[in-house]
Amino acid sequence: MSQSAVTAERRLQQGVLDAYTATRRFLIRGKRQPDVTLGSLLTPVIFVVLFGYVFGSSIIVPGGNYRSYLMPGLFAMTVLFSAANVSVAVATDMSEGVVDRFRTLPIARSAIIIGRSLSTLILGIPVLVVMIVCGLAVGWRADQGLPNAILAFVLFELFGFAIGWLGILVGLLAGSAQAADVIVNIPIFLMGFISSVFVDPSMMPAWLRVIAYWNPMSALVTAGRQLFGNTIGPPPSGVWSLEHPIATTFALAMVIVIVVAPICVHRYSHSIR
Amino acid sequence: MTAPAITAEHLARSFGPTKALVDVSLEVPAGSVCALLGRNGAGKTTTVRILTTLLPADGGRAHVAGFDVGSQAALVRTRIGVTGQTATMDELLTGAENLETIGRFCHLGAATSRRRTRELLEQFDLVGASKQLVKRYSGGMRRRLDLAASLIHDPEVLFLDEPTTGLDPVGRAEMWTSIRSLVAAGTTVLLTTQYLDEADRLADTIVVIDRGLVVAEGTPEQLKASLGRPFIRVTLPEADAAALERVRRLLGAEAEVSGRSVSAPAPNGLTTLGEVVAQLGRLGAPVHEVGLEYPSLDEVFSMVTDHSGKPTGPDAATEGAA
Repeated sequence: MSQSAVTAERRLQQGVLDAYTATRRFLIRGKRQPDVTLGSLLTPVIFVVLFGYVFGSSIIVPGGNYRSYLMPGLFAMTVLFSAANVSVAVATDMSEGVVDRFRTLPIARSAIIIGRSLSTLILGIPVLVVMIVCGLAVGWRADQGLPNAILAFVLFELFGFAIGWLGILVGLLAGSAQAADVIVNIPIFLMGFISSVFVDPSMMPAWLRVIAYWNPMSALVTAGRQLFGNTIGPPPSGVWSLEHPIATTFALAMVIVIVVAPICVHRYSHSIR
Repeated sequence: MTAPAITAEHLARSFGPTKALVDVSLEVPAGSVCALLGRNGAGKTTTVRILTTLLPADGGRAHVAGFDVGSQAALVRTRIGVTGQTATMDELLTGAENLETIGRFCHLGAATSRRRTRELLEQFDLVGASKQLVKRYSGGMRRRLDLAASLIHDPEVLFLDEPTTGLDPVGRAEMWTSIRSLVAAGTTVLLTTQYLDEADRLADTIVVIDRGLVVAEGTPEQLKASLGRPFIRVTLPEADAAALERVRRLLGAEAEVSGRSVSAPAPNGLTTLGEVVAQLGRLGAPVHEVGLEYPSLDEVFSMVTDHSGKPTGPDAATEGAA
C-alpha cells in the first residue's frame, strides 16, 4: 500500500499543475479560434451602436448622458455573453473523444473543468478591453478614480467567472452543443433586458419592476455605475441588493462559485458517454 | 513479473435493458498480446471501457497492472495507455502540442514531456507533421498520434480499441508495424478488432466474444484446430459427372461435389492426403489439383458467432463459454 499512499500535499500540487496544463491547452485553442473571440465581441459592439445611438437617441436620462449610463450595462452584457459561450464549448468538448482520453489519464478530476473556466476568464479580458475602448470612444468616462474603476472591472470579471460556472453546468447537462445554445440564451436575454442594464426600471409595470430591481445583473450594473460615477439618482429604497450593490455582487458570485463548481466537477467526472 | 497484467472475472454491464456484457472473464499474461475479437456490439468496447476505468462494471472484478479498476482507478490510470475508437487528439493543437499536453497530464514535467514528444514523433514517423494542426492530419496520421499519446508515460499495459477500423490498407499496415514494435519492447497489449487477420497477425491469444459472452479462446492455432478439421479437395480439369462420381466414392461417405471439385474431411491431414493421391493414381482419373485445406479463422469466427441456431461444424468447441 505504500505505493498508493500519495500524500494530500502532493495531490494538491499535481492538481494545481493539471489545472495549469488544462488552462494552457484551452488558451492555445482560444488563440487558434480568433473567430470565436471576435464573435463574442460582435453582439456587445452592435449593442453600443443599437442602444447608444438608435434607441439611445430617444432615451432621455435626467441630468446625465444615456451612453455613459449604458456602457456599464454593456460591460455586464459582455461578461454575460462570454459566460454563455462557454456552455456551448463545454457541450462540444463532451461530445468529442478527447474527454475519454482525459478521463483515462491520472489527472485531478477537477483539472479540465477548472482549466475551461479560467481560460474563459482570461480570454474574456481582451474582449472587455475592446469594449472599454468602445465606451471611451462614445464618450463614457470613469470619474471616480482608477482604483474604483479597477474594482468595478474586477467585479465584472468575478461575476462573469461565477456565471461561467453556471454556463459550464448547462454545457455538461445539455447533451449537445445545439441544446446548450438554446438553453443558455433564453435566461441570458431575460437577465439582460429585465434589469437596469439598458433602462431605468422605475418606469416598468410594478411586477416587472420588482424582478428588474432584484435581478443580480441590476446589482452588478449599479455597482459598476457607482464605481465609475455613471449613476442617475439614488438607488430605489427598500431594494437591499441595489443599496449595497458591491457587497451583493461579490457575495452572490462567491456563493455561485462555491455551490456550482463542485457540482460541475462531480458531474464531469461521472459523465458517461 | 509472472502475475497477469490483466485479469477480468465475470464482468457484467447493462445499459438500461440492454445487456452489453453478460459474463466476460479473461487473463492476459504480462508482455503478451491478447485480441478481443467480436462483431459490432459484441461487448468489446464495453470491456475495454471497464478495464480502463471509464465505466464501472455492474458485476465482476477486474485488475489491471495489479490494481482494482474500481477501487484503485487512480493507480490504474498511471499505468495504462488507451487508444480509443474515436480520435482523441485536439484538432486545434499541433501534433507536438497534443503529445506535450498529455505528457504534462501524466506528470512527466515540462522537460520530460518535450523529450518524450520528440522521441515519439520520431518513432511514429510524424516529425514532419509535428508543427501542423491535427485537423490537417490524415486518418492514419491521427491514429498514430493517438497511439503515440498513449505511450508517452511508458505504460505497462496498452489498450487499443479497434486500432485500425476505418483505415485504408496502407494506414493499417503502418499501425500493425507500430503495434508489433511495441510488443517487441515488452508492453502488454489488449486490442479489440473485428478483423480476424488482424487478430491472427498480432495476437498471442484470441478471446472471441459475442453478445456479451466469451464464446471461444486460445491461440490462433488452437482456435483453428479445435474448431475445424482440415479437409481435402480434389479438382478435376472439367466437370465430368462420371469422373466426379468415381472420385466422390473414393473419398468416402462425407464427400461433397461442388462444380468440378470434390471435397471431404481429412481427419489425419497429410496422411490422408498421401493415401488419396495414391488411390487417385490407381483410379487413373484426370486430376487438375489435389490439396489439403484448413478452415480460415473467418470460418471459425462465423461458426462460433453463428446466430442462426443451427449446429455449427463438428465438435464446435466452446471452451471458455460460461
